[in-house]
Amino acid sequence: MQKEIIVTGFGGQGIILAGRILGTAASLGDNKESTLVQAYGPESRGGACNAQVIISDTPIHYPYVKIPHILVAMSQAGYDKFSGLLQEDSILLTDQDLVPTTNAPCAHYEIAATRMAESLGHKMMANIIMIGFFTAITEAVSKNAALETVNRSVPKGTEEKNQKAFNKGFDYGLSTLKGKEKRAAGMTGAIAQ
Amino acid sequence: MNKQTKIILFLCNWGPHAAYLSLQDEKQNIPEAVHMVRIPCTGRVDRALLLRAFAKGADGVAMIGCSPGTCRYGSGTPTAIRNTQDTGTILDLMGIGQERLRFATFLPEQSEELLEFLQTFLHDIQKLGPTAITTLPDNPLPANPLNLPREEVSALVNTYDIHACQDCGKCSSACPLALVGKPFSARGIATAVINNELYKTNVQENVWSCLTCGLCYERCPSAVNFPAFIKELRYLYQKNTIQGNEAHGGFLHSLMRSMASPDLTPNRYQNIPEKLKIDPDSNILFYGGCAPYFDIFFSKHIDVNTEKILFDSIRLLNFFDVHPRLLGDERCCGHDLLWSGEQRHFKEVARLNVERLNSLGIETMITTCPECYMTFKTTYPDMGFQLNFEVVHLYDFLEKEIDRGAVEFTSFDKAVTFQDSCRLCRLEDRQELPRQLLARLQPNTFTEMRESGKGSMCCGNTAWTGCDSYSKAMQVKRLQQAKETGAELLITSCPKCQIHLQCAMQDPFREEELQIEMLDLTSVIAQTITWK
Repeated sequence: MQKEIIVTGFGGQGIILAGRILGTAASLGDNKESTLVQAYGPESRGGACNAQVIISDTPIHYPYVKIPHILVAMSQAGYDKFSGLLQEDSILLTDQDLVPTTNAPCAHYEIAATRMAESLGHKMMANIIMIGFFTAITEAVSKNAALETVNRSVPKGTEEKNQKAFNKGFDYGLSTLKGKEKRAAGMTGAIAQ
Repeated sequence: MNKQTKIILFLCNWGPHAAYLSLQDEKQNIPEAVHMVRIPCTGRVDRALLLRAFAKGADGVAMIGCSPGTCRYGSGTPTAIRNTQDTGTILDLMGIGQERLRFATFLPEQSEELLEFLQTFLHDIQKLGPTAITTLPDNPLPANPLNLPREEVSALVNTYDIHACQDCGKCSSACPLALVGKPFSARGIATAVINNELYKTNVQENVWSCLTCGLCYERCPSAVNFPAFIKELRYLYQKNTIQGNEAHGGFLHSLMRSMASPDLTPNRYQNIPEKLKIDPDSNILFYGGCAPYFDIFFSKHIDVNTEKILFDSIRLLNFFDVHPRLLGDERCCGHDLLWSGEQRHFKEVARLNVERLNSLGIETMITTCPECYMTFKTTYPDMGFQLNFEVVHLYDFLEKEIDRGAVEFTSFDKAVTFQDSCRLCRLEDRQELPRQLLARLQPNTFTEMRESGKGSMCCGNTAWTGCDSYSKAMQVKRLQQAKETGAELLITSCPKCQIHLQCAMQDPFREEELQIEMLDLTSVIAQTITWK
């Protein structure tokens, strides 16, 4: 099983770090194979930047993503650039405030990651919230592996805050899945309709 | 015949008493167990008296009146039937069984039928055996009730540091009772305690009418914990047989005192809506509290449905996939016993509760009643009753779950305001808790009342003690404050606030002026929460 992932957004949002955490979590934490191809050049300095991650049970022969199974978009420009590649069975994760216009052919999950990060006190942690959300929704990496990698990848002294951010995104992901399930079962409210 | 069996017979003076006289004249064998109380009309035997008979040790109570249409006063029989039914329903809930309370009518010439009735009733009661209610022995009469034991009074003064009172009067200028004009003074009580004048009738009246709402403690610059002090002072009064003025004829006090009987096994939650999901093996217990008793009792006068709050709580737990355990033999928490000086009964209730609840192996108890919350969370441990699980207010649970995200609230087109519960907002210092949830709701507008949060006004009464015209004046004032905000919906957080404010709305001279829709915060959340 090979999972091809594109994380995209503005340069400076921590897109590359997010990609690296996902890949590291898969390889060091979950003992799988993983690769990371990161955007260099002008994109990573403010444009539509991206990180391409492949996670696989078997050795990976080619590190570039051709068709993403999972697209994580944290900016409209990033979404526009890669949304054409989405297939019906892909999964799209977006920051709902930063990607207002979507028209995806596949399952789509939204989270207000940047707003949540702001309410936690640091806008910078939006990417960690997104990793938590990603982990809950896609299960491409295990929670423990992701959380440990987050701990090892963030600046010393900020581990606790980042853990909190991760859990916030993770819980939101679980709630989103639960809500989706409930809605599908026709149980939207607390009082039976 | 079992000599222990005791049947109280309330017998109407007019019709059936003649039949009873004939039985006596004919030297018929009226069972010894029957203790007859001759009364002017069964309609005047209220529900409090019926329940008190059981609370004081009766095994069966028979109300015998006149057939409908033959009542001398017209409405006696239907009233008596209603009272018997209400009390019967409550006896069922308490696990005593309504078959122990029977209403019947006899004409003066039906002496044989009356005798047969009494014998059958006695037979039935003997088959049922004695009730599970046991009574604690009465306090011994003090040598001189006017002279309260000096050392106990000074112990009180020391414990609550009454000497710290500076007589500044901030309490009086905050006290809602004093502000509606009642001759009531918190510092007056403090002075009386120091001067050993607790026997004075006006001091006694004041001690029994205190709301224990905690507003004076909030304002006191010397931090004299007045509510706790009053609580202890009432206990001291009770020990010296100085009784408070129990509201509602003492019905609710009889009910709560009966809960101190070890063998009593209440029979709760028989009417849960089918769709609610309950799991008897869950490690989360939902503790409902006394709402169903209140509903039955108060439905005679006002339109209350506080049991709905319990069902809505369970709905919300289910919404978040918690299928709680319920306790069929749930007792009351004892809050009102403690706060009306009945510390002995409270301790019994607490001991029984702790024993039962600790044996369940649960990890969490969730409750939505602010009084149950405070009593289990704080009072029990303070008085040495340790629980082996965590006590959580439903609002805490909801706030945590909602904060995870992916739920939203449907908007509703109403202006709302909020009535604080004194226990939750002041005594437990959690005024922010309901407000976090209120901020998530999507009403038309939300406006706080003139007095809100820590400075909010009490609903008029605590612990069913000392309700009078000043309580009513307070309730009217509070409802006017609510109306002032332009609110169409008053959100409450305690079933008693609902009952008390609803009561004031019955005022026939102020109809429109005071009418406002009321809903508990739990119900509002249950109605508007949805998955995103």
